[in-house]
Amino acid sequence: MSVMTTNAPRARRLTLRRRRQLAGFAFALPAIALVVGFIGVPIGQAVYYSFTQWDGLTSTWIGWSTWSQAFHNTDLWTALENNAKLLITVPFALGLPLLIAVLLHQRVAGWRIFRSIYFLPTAISWVVLGLVAERFFAYQGTLNSIIHFFGFAHTNTNMLGYESTALTALGITFIFTMIGTNTILFLTGLATLDPTLEEAARIDGAGRWRIFRSITLPHLSRFIQLAFVVTVIALFSALFSLIFVMTGGGPGYSTTTMEFLIYQTGFNQGDFGTAALYGLILFVLTAIVGIVQLRLIGSNE
Amino acid sequence: MAEIDFEGVTKVFGAGPPAVDGLTLHVNEGEFMVLVGPSGCGKTTALRMLAGLEEISSGTLRIGGVVVNNTLPKDRDVAMVFQNYALYPNMSVEKNIGFALKIRGDSKSEIKRKVDEAAAILHLEDYLERRPKALSGGQRQRVAMGRAIVRSPRAFLMDEPLSNLDAKLRVEMRLEIARIQRLLGVATVYVTHDQVEAMTMGDRVAVMRDGKLQQVDTPQDLYDRPANEFVAGFMGSPPMNLIRCRVRSGEDRVEVVFGDQVVELPWHYTSSHTLPPSGVDVVVGVRPEDVLVADASSTNTIKARVERREALGSEILVHLSHLDVTVGTEVATRDDARVSTLVAKMGPRSSVSVGDVLSVQISPEHAHFFDAVTGATLREN
Repeated sequence: MSVMTTNAPRARRLTLRRRRQLAGFAFALPAIALVVGFIGVPIGQAVYYSFTQWDGLTSTWIGWSTWSQAFHNTDLWTALENNAKLLITVPFALGLPLLIAVLLHQRVAGWRIFRSIYFLPTAISWVVLGLVAERFFAYQGTLNSIIHFFGFAHTNTNMLGYESTALTALGITFIFTMIGTNTILFLTGLATLDPTLEEAARIDGAGRWRIFRSITLPHLSRFIQLAFVVTVIALFSALFSLIFVMTGGGPGYSTTTMEFLIYQTGFNQGDFGTAALYGLILFVLTAIVGIVQLRLIGSNE
Repeated sequence: MAEIDFEGVTKVFGAGPPAVDGLTLHVNEGEFMVLVGPSGCGKTTALRMLAGLEEISSGTLRIGGVVVNNTLPKDRDVAMVFQNYALYPNMSVEKNIGFALKIRGDSKSEIKRKVDEAAAILHLEDYLERRPKALSGGQRQRVAMGRAIVRSPRAFLMDEPLSNLDAKLRVEMRLEIARIQRLLGVATVYVTHDQVEAMTMGDRVAVMRDGKLQQVDTPQDLYDRPANEFVAGFMGSPPMNLIRCRVRSGEDRVEVVFGDQVVELPWHYTSSHTLPPSGVDVVVGVRPEDVLVADASSTNTIKARVERREALGSEILVHLSHLDVTVGTEVATRDDARVSTLVAKMGPRSSVSVGDVLSVQISPEHAHFFDAVTGATLREN
C-alpha cells in the first residue's frame, strides 16, 4: 500500500505521451529480448570469432589476419562468383510460377489438381528433392532416358559430373524447388485482384496480353517483389541441402556457394574463425538485397 | 449510336431456374432505358449479356441490327460503368479515361484532346494526374463516366452506378448522368434497384422480376397504368396499397367488400375493367395520395383508425387500420406489418393524430384492380 501511495503522485507527473512510450517499450521488451538473444548475440559472436583462430575447442585472438587472408583466398571469390551466376535463376524462379499462377487463375480444367501438383515440391524436404534431382541428372538417370526416348540414342549427358554444367543442373533444381512457393504466392495475389477490373478492360477493348500487362502485372508487383526477396534469400542461404546431396560442392569448387564454403571451411577444415567471417559476408550480402528491396517496396506504397 | 434488341434472350446458370427468362426488349437509338427490379431479378445479368461478359443461353441479341451473341466485348463497341467503378488503380485519372483510346491506337494528341474534352464535361480537369485512390466517391464516379463517354461508343451500359454514393451526391449525379446522356444521345441501358432513379432518369423503364420482364413503359405510364400487382407495388414510394376484397355486383351497381364495410364503385369501372363476377376476390390498388379524408357529407367511405403518423415535412404518411380485412395475394409478397394497414399521404397541415378514427374515401378515378390469383391488371386495352 505504501508503495502505491508514494508512486501515485510521481506517475501523475509524467505526461500522457511519456507514459504511452513507457508502456510501448514495456510491451516490446520480450520481443527485443528475443531478437537480441537469438540474432544480436550470435552475430556479435561471429564478429568476435572472425578475429580469432578457433578450432571448435580453443580460440586465440589473431586480430585482422583472418580478414586480410580471406580476401586473398580464391575459394571465396569462386564461391561469390557461383552465387552471382546462380542469380540468373531468379527470373525463371519468378517467371515460371507467374505463368503457372496466371494459367491456374483462369480456372483451366483440373486446376485444383494442377495446383496440388505444383505445390507438392514445397511440402517435400529439399534433401529428398536433391536426391531426386541427382537421380534425374545422373549418367544413367531420367534425363538421359528421356533423351534416348526421343531418339537420340547416342547422346548422353552427365551434367553433375562436369565443372561446366554442374552449376546449371543445380540452378535448374533450385528453380523447381521454388515453383510451388512462388506459385501459391502469386495465386494469392491474383485472388485479391478485383475481377471487375478485368471485365472493364475487356470492354475497353483490351486483349489477354494487354490485360496482363496493364492490370494483372501492376497489381502483382508487390507480390513479385516479395517473391523476389524470398527467392534471393533462399538462393543465398537455403541451397545447402541441395548442394550437399547433389554435388558436395564439386566437381572442384564449381558448385560451392558462400553458404557451402562456410560449412566446408568450418567443419571440414576446422577453421571456424574464417567460417565466421564468411558468414558475416553472406549476411551482409543478403541484408543488402533485402534492404534494397524493402526500399523499393516502401517507395511504391 | 445504335439500337439494341433483346429477342427471347435467356440465361441459365447451372441447373437452377433461368436468371433471365425470354427477355424481349427494344431500346431505341438515343433512348435512356432503365432496367429496374429487386435484387436477383436478372437485370444485371441482362446487362452483362449485353456487354458480352456473360454468354447468352438462348435467344438473339442485336446491337445496331447485327447479332452479337458470339461477339467479344471488345468488338461490341459498348462502354460500361460498373457499380464499384472498376477504375484501374495503378493508372492516373487521365490514363484511366484514355485507356480504351490507347488500345484502339489513337494518336497521343488525339487521346489528349478527347480526354480533356471528357474531363471538361465532367469537371475533372483538376484531377487528371491523380490516382483513383486519391479521389472521393463522387469523383471516382465521374472518372468511370469519363471512361465511358470518351470512346463515343454505340451504347452506354450502367450497372447501379450511383448506389455507392451518399444520398445528396446521388441526386446530383442522377441529373448529371441524365444530362450527359441527352447531350451525347447514345442509347443507354441503366440498371438500378432504386425506383426513384428509374422514374426520374428513364425515357422508358423496364420492370423485371424473377428473370421475367413485367412491363416496359414511360415512367408515368408505369405509375398510372401498372400491368400487374408487382409493378404497382414496386413503383412509387410509399408503395401502392394493395387490398384483397370481394366483388359484389347487382344489376346497376358494383361494390367491393372490405371486411364488413362496403364501397360502391363508380359505374365506369365496369366498362374499363373486366371485373370478376359477384363473390370473387379482387385486389384493389390505391396509391397513398388517392386515399382521401372524407367530409361529413361524403358517402362511400371506409372507417379507419390512425395507427401511425410519419411526418416527412412536406407530407405526412398516415398508417390506417381498417376493420376485419384479409389482405395480400400469393402474387404480392408483403410483410405482415404493412398489409394490415392502408397508407395515406396527407398534406403537411393535416391535423390527424394516432388513435383518431377517420372516414376515408378512395379517389374514385384512381383505383386499380388486379386479378386475385395471377396479379394481372383487370384493366381492358
